[in-house]
Amino acid sequence: VRIVVIGAGQVGSTVVEALHEGHEITVVDVDSERLAVLGDRFDAATVEGNGASRRTLEEAGVRECGLLIACTSRDESNIIAAVFTRRLSPSTSTIVRTTDEEYLEIWQERYLDVDFVVSSERETALAVSQTIGVPAARQTDVFADGQVQVVEFDVVDGDVPTDSALPLSEAATRAADRRAPRGSIVGVPLRDATLPAESKVATIIRGDKIALPHGGESIRPGDRIVVIGSPGAAREWGRMVCGERRVVHDVVIYGAGRAGLATARMLMSQGIRVRIVEAFDDHARRAADELPQARVFHSTGMDAEFIERERIGEADAAVFTMRDDAKNHYAATLAKMYGVPLTIAVVHDAHSVEVFERAGVDVAINPRLITAEEMIRWAHDPRTQQVAMLEGDRYEVLDIEVKPDSTLLATPFKELPQTGALIGAIIREGVAIFPHSDDVLRPGDRVIVFTESARVPAVVRAL
Amino acid sequence: VTRSRLGVDVLSALNLVGTLTKFLSLAFAFPLVLAVLYGESVWPWLASAAVGGGFGAALELVCRGHQRIGVREGFLVVSLTWLLAAGLGALPFLFSGEDQLSRPLDAYFESMSGFTTTGATVVTDVEALSQSLVMWRQFSQWLGGMGIIVLFLAVLPRLRVGGRQMFESELPGPELELSTRIQDTARRLWLLYVGLSVAEILVLAGLGWTGVDPRMNLFEAVAHTFSTMPTGGFSTQARSVEEFAAASQWVIAFFMAVAGANFALTYRALLRRQPGVFVRDEEFRLYVGLLTLGSLVLLVELWSRDLYAGEEAIRQAVFQAVSIMTTTGLASADYNLWGLLAAVVLVALMLFGGSAGSTAGSVKVLRHLLLGRILRREVDLTVHPELVSHVRYNGRRVQGQILRAVQSFVMLYVGLFALGTFLLVADAARVGLDLRLIDAVAAAATTLGNVGPGFGFAGPMGSFAPFSDVSTAAMVVLMWAGRLEIIPVAVLLTRSYWRI
Repeated sequence: VRIVVIGAGQVGSTVVEALHEGHEITVVDVDSERLAVLGDRFDAATVEGNGASRRTLEEAGVRECGLLIACTSRDESNIIAAVFTRRLSPSTSTIVRTTDEEYLEIWQERYLDVDFVVSSERETALAVSQTIGVPAARQTDVFADGQVQVVEFDVVDGDVPTDSALPLSEAATRAADRRAPRGSIVGVPLRDATLPAESKVATIIRGDKIALPHGGESIRPGDRIVVIGSPGAAREWGRMVCGERRVVHDVVIYGAGRAGLATARMLMSQGIRVRIVEAFDDHARRAADELPQARVFHSTGMDAEFIERERIGEADAAVFTMRDDAKNHYAATLAKMYGVPLTIAVVHDAHSVEVFERAGVDVAINPRLITAEEMIRWAHDPRTQQVAMLEGDRYEVLDIEVKPDSTLLATPFKELPQTGALIGAIIREGVAIFPHSDDVLRPGDRVIVFTESARVPAVVRAL
Repeated sequence: VTRSRLGVDVLSALNLVGTLTKFLSLAFAFPLVLAVLYGESVWPWLASAAVGGGFGAALELVCRGHQRIGVREGFLVVSLTWLLAAGLGALPFLFSGEDQLSRPLDAYFESMSGFTTTGATVVTDVEALSQSLVMWRQFSQWLGGMGIIVLFLAVLPRLRVGGRQMFESELPGPELELSTRIQDTARRLWLLYVGLSVAEILVLAGLGWTGVDPRMNLFEAVAHTFSTMPTGGFSTQARSVEEFAAASQWVIAFFMAVAGANFALTYRALLRRQPGVFVRDEEFRLYVGLLTLGSLVLLVELWSRDLYAGEEAIRQAVFQAVSIMTTTGLASADYNLWGLLAAVVLVALMLFGGSAGSTAGSVKVLRHLLLGRILRREVDLTVHPELVSHVRYNGRRVQGQILRAVQSFVMLYVGLFALGTFLLVADAARVGLDLRLIDAVAAAATTLGNVGPGFGFAGPMGSFAPFSDVSTAAMVVLMWAGRLEIIPVAVLLTRSYWRI
């Protein structure tokens, strides 16, 4: 496939590095020096120019390419590049990088004609959340006035991502100890697992492959799963796939930039108490305005008196999302000194991850790297991404009414043919029912069906 | 020479005040018609209209050509208009030759009490007044309730400029913007006010026609609606609404409670069919909560003292709590006889007042709500000095400027209240008037909060006549400042207002 990559920064180079073998790549950037470096390292064509200009896009050959990856650090440029490409060449797939969660939300509401959007902030927040041990829903789609949710989870890997060559700090060991085997679900064949009552596993994504959730299949660490169920069951899934009782109650976040706020929002949505420390008055005020449930402090957070008085050391975890790597490093070390058991730093420089982990910070997260990784996954196989969001147009969630003459009426669920379509929920007289093997469909029922797109006509016919 | 040095264009302000006075004189048409219908003398009304209209026109003439109304002039216009409106309203009392109101200060007090919707009276025998005079007292409350400026804002195109700030001095409150244009907002509020008044008149008159309340007729229905909707408090009866049947008292209590709620919410709920706005509004919830709490305490007190039983006890407790908290001041019974605990509860309710954006006076529930949150934040900050937290109302951040205004208002209010109490006590001692401390406290709270009756001789069935002239004048100032929420009046007393 021919791929055009806009932006030759950290994200762009990572993407090129991962994809240059096996794909024809053209890189576009305004900075000729960066292009030259990239062109030397990898076998890729380069075009100097603004990616948001039509002429540059045509020069880069978007008309002939199969995929456009717009990953400059400017959200609006990326979006414009993708929108132009859609006009110039409707068959080209488009991926956009954004730093602002708002564009992600707009895209999820389908106001943005782009195939895939990766938000660095959202990815960072998800990474932090998973490190803390509470996998968050990557994506939630809501049906039947919120009674039915289609939720996508990452099942947390068992190991703590700390450099094993170094002696683990005591705290990191404790963090690793917390990851007890999650007996009830992970690793157990689905037919034997005790799943939350009002839910079903719709699909399991493992690497580039999609596994059908039949009874013999099991959920493994590192899988991405899609679940259909009630809101309560969805929450229970969140708890179960992390494999332990939640031990983190209180998190301190340094820095109230976009990444800090996105992380705070995600943690608070899981019922974790969040305190935010921000040195700039304006940012602190904005954070307090946007997040009424969080406690925001206007402080550098680095003086002993403040740390003592506010009991920063008592927090279960601290996240450092300030713009300056050196400050994050210092603050994280300080937090460790005062007894914070788990420190997570968001780093910006490509080499910082190693520096941080060598220096004793438990986890370092590079937003650019995880953003690039997410884009690369999609580029490898769009199907495995965002299944619940139906963007790969291979899967669909249908909300349809059962015809009075449907052939499936009055048949118990366990006797329905296994076709790869899954009835996740029945809406009967306005109330959601999560069917078990003995339930039957009745005329007038509405059903929420998860199915491959190719089967949609067959499903509609049968119902 | 001095005018060029002034920072306020006094002539423009006077010009506008003249126009407003002129148009306000048209209000005499209503009692004039009544006088004709009841066969009473029409001369007091014609004379008042002539004097008022003539004075207004003369003021306009003297100041013609001065049209500059800005923020600064607005304060002067509002303050002067209310002083003059009360003066205008006092004219018929003087011209009618009524003995009880023959002294100019008494007539002015009565008129100011009417326009500011206070409802405190110096009349000792209200039933001796002529029908048209009684109705004028009631009508002046209704005119003042939603605000004179707001009324003219709705009908006079001239007030388009600078009107917003005058509007806010008369009717401050959040979420009052029912339209992007202040004139439309004023029109809608008056429309709602008129609509609710018509509804109450029909319900009350209906009770009379169906024989449920034999004492209620169209005249009484109109008169008491003119007292209820603006949260005034004057009655045509010496025993206030004690004269009327239980059903009428419940109806009046209901409309008092409506008048004490934010009109913008009522507008949205009724005309835009969003009844949810009431449930979501934090001030409304606290307003209802305080009303309920006040009623319950009164009820327990009434039961424990064996004063009333059954439905009557509930009715008396609810009616009085609603009447006092909404700063109406109508009485369903002489609560003077209910004991000290009840008196303290009622004075506390006086200091709460109704909701912002209502016709009620006093501090208002919203300010108490915000002040409580400000104080809680201050306490938090002593423990966590670096904490950044915003005071919120209905989930939204409240601007620091508004919070400062709330704090300074409450301080001014408490200061003026204390000063008023002190003055009344000192003056009572000077002239040898038998005034208990709780009576003085209540008299200051009731006039500053535009409630109406106090305790002791100034109680719900009594009169303010025994007060000396000095005290009467002081209470006129309290009513005036209280109606305009102090700030527009306080501004006039500063040098920086007048200077460039």
